[in-house]
Amino acid sequence: MTDVTPANAARIGIGGPVGSGKTALIERLIPVLQARGVDLAVITNDLVTKEDAERLRRSGLIDPSRVEAVEAGACPHTVIREDPTLNIAAGDALEDRFPGLQLLIFESGGDNLASTFSLDLVDWWIFVIDVAGGDDIPRKRGPGVLRCDLLVVNKVDLAPHVGVDLDGMLAEAGRVRGGKPVIATNARAGHGIDRVADAIGRAVLFAP
Amino acid sequence: MRVIHRILGSRRDSGLADRLHHLAHHGAVDVLVVSSTDVARRRIRATTLAGEEIALALPRDEPLFDGAVLALDERHALVARVGTERWLRLVPGSQAAALELGYHAGNLHWRVRFADGAILVALDGPADDYLVRLGALVTDGQVTHTVLDEAEPC
Repeated sequence: MTDVTPANAARIGIGGPVGSGKTALIERLIPVLQARGVDLAVITNDLVTKEDAERLRRSGLIDPSRVEAVEAGACPHTVIREDPTLNIAAGDALEDRFPGLQLLIFESGGDNLASTFSLDLVDWWIFVIDVAGGDDIPRKRGPGVLRCDLLVVNKVDLAPHVGVDLDGMLAEAGRVRGGKPVIATNARAGHGIDRVADAIGRAVLFAP
Repeated sequence: MRVIHRILGSRRDSGLADRLHHLAHHGAVDVLVVSSTDVARRRIRATTLAGEEIALALPRDEPLFDGAVLALDERHALVARVGTERWLRLVPGSQAAALELGYHAGNLHWRVRFADGAILVALDGPADDYLVRLGALVTDGQVTHTVLDEAEPC
């Protein structure tokens, strides 16, 4: 194995519908990844504000200067798929400012089930859905659900309160994805976060 | 696990081709197969045809390509082979079907190109996943379909 440092940070995307828990997932991932020695930064995407970036900057979890915001100004998928130039530039700027950066996390603005990331922007991406959105979401076979490298089903603690058959939902998610990975989380309580961090580490940081 | 950080060149480069040819005679050229849908990734973790688990961490300005030489020394080489792009060729039987087909292709954000009265849709998954989205256009025979790979003529 070579000990050469990669020329660039790994870049991952986190997308999913509005309110599914993308920012909450990142808030939980940051300390877990930092504890593993990962040097990281975050780029958030919002429609016409910097709300998610401000939330992360105020969180105390990460140096605020390591959080950048991109305002999509249109459908959020346009800046992560059709023309990701703004995000690529934001990522390049962070890499210039923080030499040695190992991981850049791009959070998409909340979108619909058709949202996908361009592989020109990221090397690997997560799609987050939540049980409160209904257990029929996987069955609707949205491109986000089908094509992502990792599907996260969040807010699993709410399943009994919203009449969702969680086991059936997870089984169906695995089936429509042809066996590609699915992880159940409760981001607010931190459940399942280690498994998500493991998946990131293995896929793009080449952890054992 | 070996981590590869740069591409040494193309297997077609004159300086590399002879060395690869020599190694190939000794069965010492391993191949990393990468699907056409994954080739844009700069970070890839995969197993070569010879069974070695490797990782790619390429610079962002250095995209992978078919024939990229990833490792080369006196005893061993590793070359990338990119799988052919698969296309779903859709032929509308009427102007009305063509209009509706075009609407669906755009609405579903499919990657398309056009050839001889057909829409070619780049496949990122099973063709049936695409055909089912077209509903009656396909089931009623208003649009006919075949699957092509990059090597076949359009």
